[in-house]
Amino acid sequence: MNEIKKTYKNYVGGKYIRSESGKTFRIELKNDFYEVPLTSRKDIRDAVVAAKKGFTDWQKLTPYNKTQILYRLSEMLEGNFDTYQQILQDSGLTKAKAKEDIKNSLDSLIWYAGMADKWEQMTGNLNPVAGDFFNISHQESLGVVFTLNSSEHSLNNLLLNMLPALTTGCSVISFNEENSVLALKLAEDINNSDLPPGALNIMSGKFELIIDDVSNHVEITAMALYKKVTTEEKTLIRENASKSLKRVYITPPTIGLEALLPFIETKTVWHPKGR
Amino acid sequence: MNKWDYAESIESSSIVNIQKKYGIFIDGKFQSSNSKKSLKTISPSTEEVLSTISLGNKNDINDAVQSAKEGLKIWSKLSGTQRAKYLFKLARLIQERSREFAVLESLDGGKPIKESRDFDLPQVAANFFYFAGWADKLNLSWNTNGMKPYGVVGQIIPWNFPLLMLSWKVAPALATGNVVILKPAESTPLTALLFAELCEEVGLPPGVFNLVTGDGTTGAALVQHPEISKIAFTGSTGVGKYIQKETADRDIGLTLELGGKAANIVFNDAAIDQAVEGVVNGIFFNQGHVCCAGSRLVLQEDIHDQFVSKLEKRMQSLRVGNPLDKNTDIGAINSKEQLDKISELVNNGVDEGGSIFQTECELPQNGFWFKPTLFTNAQPSYRIAREEIFGPVLTTLTFRTPEEAIEISNNTEYGLSAGIWTEKGSKILWTADRLQAGVIWANTFNKFDPASPFGGYKESGFGREGGRHGLLSYLKVQS
Amino acid sequence: MSLTKESKNQLTWSNTVELIDNLRVDEVGLKERVASLSTRSIKKESKLQALNYIISMCDLTTLEGEDTEGKIGQMTAKAINPDPSNNEVPSVAAVCVYPSLVGKAKEMTKNSNVKVASVSSYFPSGQASIESKLLDTQFAIDQGADEIDIVINRKAFFEGDYRKMFDEIVALKQLCKSVHLKTILEVGELRTYENIKKASLISLAAGSDFIKTSTGKISNGSSREACYLMAKAVWDYKEATDFKAGIKVAGGIRDSKDAIRYLVIVNEELGSEWLNPDYFRFGASSLVDDVLKQIKKLKTNAYQSSYYFPRG
Repeated sequence: MNEIKKTYKNYVGGKYIRSESGKTFRIELKNDFYEVPLTSRKDIRDAVVAAKKGFTDWQKLTPYNKTQILYRLSEMLEGNFDTYQQILQDSGLTKAKAKEDIKNSLDSLIWYAGMADKWEQMTGNLNPVAGDFFNISHQESLGVVFTLNSSEHSLNNLLLNMLPALTTGCSVISFNEENSVLALKLAEDINNSDLPPGALNIMSGKFELIIDDVSNHVEITAMALYKKVTTEEKTLIRENASKSLKRVYITPPTIGLEALLPFIETKTVWHPKGR
Repeated sequence: MNKWDYAESIESSSIVNIQKKYGIFIDGKFQSSNSKKSLKTISPSTEEVLSTISLGNKNDINDAVQSAKEGLKIWSKLSGTQRAKYLFKLARLIQERSREFAVLESLDGGKPIKESRDFDLPQVAANFFYFAGWADKLNLSWNTNGMKPYGVVGQIIPWNFPLLMLSWKVAPALATGNVVILKPAESTPLTALLFAELCEEVGLPPGVFNLVTGDGTTGAALVQHPEISKIAFTGSTGVGKYIQKETADRDIGLTLELGGKAANIVFNDAAIDQAVEGVVNGIFFNQGHVCCAGSRLVLQEDIHDQFVSKLEKRMQSLRVGNPLDKNTDIGAINSKEQLDKISELVNNGVDEGGSIFQTECELPQNGFWFKPTLFTNAQPSYRIAREEIFGPVLTTLTFRTPEEAIEISNNTEYGLSAGIWTEKGSKILWTADRLQAGVIWANTFNKFDPASPFGGYKESGFGREGGRHGLLSYLKVQS
Repeated sequence: MSLTKESKNQLTWSNTVELIDNLRVDEVGLKERVASLSTRSIKKESKLQALNYIISMCDLTTLEGEDTEGKIGQMTAKAINPDPSNNEVPSVAAVCVYPSLVGKAKEMTKNSNVKVASVSSYFPSGQASIESKLLDTQFAIDQGADEIDIVINRKAFFEGDYRKMFDEIVALKQLCKSVHLKTILEVGELRTYENIKKASLISLAAGSDFIKTSTGKISNGSSREACYLMAKAVWDYKEATDFKAGIKVAGGIRDSKDAIRYLVIVNEELGSEWLNPDYFRFGASSLVDDVLKQIKKLKTNAYQSSYYFPRG
């Protein structure tokens, strides 16, 4: 146990905050225990406000800029290799597995960094319509995305649950349960990476407490459930989502172009060609 | 009436550290060339000698090729992610030493520091960042069956954007798994030599990047070497044709990015003031030493006088002078040779009957300089309207109908770029469909991005650099 | 274009319509040109020259509900002698106040070259009848104003009634006679470059001596892009009519660096003929202090603090 006890807080709108409810829940790791925020419904509502601003600011940046920011995040992570390794080992991984996981997470981050200014070239295209028209389909980001992250003690998986939506230009509310210590530690490096406040928000809690509010919230345009949920939960979410046509993705892929496709909206523009 | 003159604001050159002599870069380190001969590289704005560089010969080229073959053995075993990491590191180092590179580029080549600092260097870094991000996802670039890198690639680059052309060549080649022998232009080797130092610093495996300086004979030796799998060349159409002929008996990859005589079409419904800016930028950026320069103003006759009057006024505010002065807009002509070419063509233009306008400016005593020049009353048959001048000289031709604008613009063996100025969207698209040019700028000009493919039609070359399509220059289909 | 003029610098409405036929502006291209002009590096003697120009071109301004004669007294003293410790610093061009304080301002500046400008025409909104606006303006003139800064009728503009907007300015100019008229466009409300160009040309055609960017009363004040666009309009108007109008930029120009960038635009787009108070003004309050600090820094090589300069 350390002499100075570390407190992990939620990371929302570029700031570290406790739950407005004042409540926490305990996570036990090998060397220590941590009381992390038990995110409430009001916290979610505040996070959406922050994520909306974050979306506007993240959108404004050029794809090149986004690449640089995500690459910078990898610089931050690599600098804190030892800290992550310790957390993973305290979570039960062997030293070798912990190191491998962090190396994989850096490779994933590099892959996504270089994807930020490429994916549009893979998904957009000119459409060969009949007639004197220029017709192009291009993709835009959905908006604010809520992700339920897998509880596996893996930095790689954690990043792979945040990066697909983020890379397409969406802002993300990343919700974590048993792996919250790792996630809230990652928040510190996110903060150092030049990502605009609110673009990526990291929170901890119990999903069952907020499942209604999240699936009902009209301004959350999509939910990506990377963690397995029960059939009852799935049904509830989809029913609530239907009220505003929220997009719901159950265990979507985490790597490859297919990982990004859920988070984009296609826009097709026509224009005549004539003198 | 007072005049407000801008005092000199000189970017200090103390940031650069030019060595007296340079060798060649092979096997991951600098070494002496086999050739006993050397060349001097000078600053075209003062004619002072900056350094002595090696004049690489056939043996140097052969050493470079052998080094590249060894490098390929290592490079081809690395994963895409590993290649990406080297390129990202190079991108970062370039960013960090941007100012140094920019000053060096302006000293060696003559372009204004404003351009090397604000355009060349940011683009160089962006190219390395962009292509680094392709290295680990080439499988997503094209839905083709198993494309592979060529292997050992020879690259020859020109003197107008030395470091930028290096980045356009080296970044995609390495990202796609090739190894490189680069031959920079005779008059502008210094930024390439500094780049080689960065390769050493990031620990790029030996042989992956090789640099042999020299002149036309060095380039010829590279083109002729039997173990090169691909040549990428940017330069004059004349030399491009020579290379195509020279490699006729071999099955190697070839991409050529050659000259141009681009038409900048201004319709009467253009946003006139912005069109003037675009036309000025199109021909005077980088002293007109640009393959895609808008060197023909194809102007709708009914706005001719109004447009030319605004153009001449705007040209007069261009500042010609010391490339290291932050307020300089037009730097030095790259060499005596080039200056002579420009002068000859301009004199010929006057002889053939064109009306000439040149801005009033004081030119420095030493160095190679040419005043911004505009020809009106020129005909499509004049040499100034047909031949690439590669200098700050704009030739005006008029048209009356959109069809005529197309005809005049396409009436050339070149086909690199074109500009279209009109506020009418459908006219932009109609015109773009009919222009025989690889890059078309509508209501803008000289815009470049690593994500945007660049290259020409007809005798402006073949193959594209940049973007998803640019990868095809460095990947070949398995037969 | 051969234009019929009603007076020295006013066109007929039909000629005005011809003038505003070509409003085409490309936003991206314009912004690039302005950004490029902003890279000019103004140092040493050319910087000192610019700083002195700026002071001499300032309209030191106070337009607050809480203005009193006491406040005017302080400001006019500063206007006449901005830096008592350095008599090389010139006076400003003018002070700019509400009509009710014109009398006091005139009294305090009578032994100097500093002019008194007054806002009027229901500044800043312009939402009133033309009769009210004429009365407002007449009062300011009677109090002794040398210059009048009016606002265009944005209600009429956005309703598409350009004729009404034009006629109002004509009427106000008639009232002013030899009193110098500046017409405020409020570019922050006009927003698009086409709108700014249209409003500029209509204002010039109606007889304005100066066109001015902003009232300084809304959050979107002046911008260098607006100044560039207005410079283009002034140039085109000059080419068409031989009349040289002036430009005033106001609202949000807080420091010397920014002000110098405006001077660069005027210098390179219009020419040095415009670099004097007869053709270019800055509407400012805190700008003057920053310029004084910069002037002192050039002389002493030390960064300054504002407590060295008198409050205005």
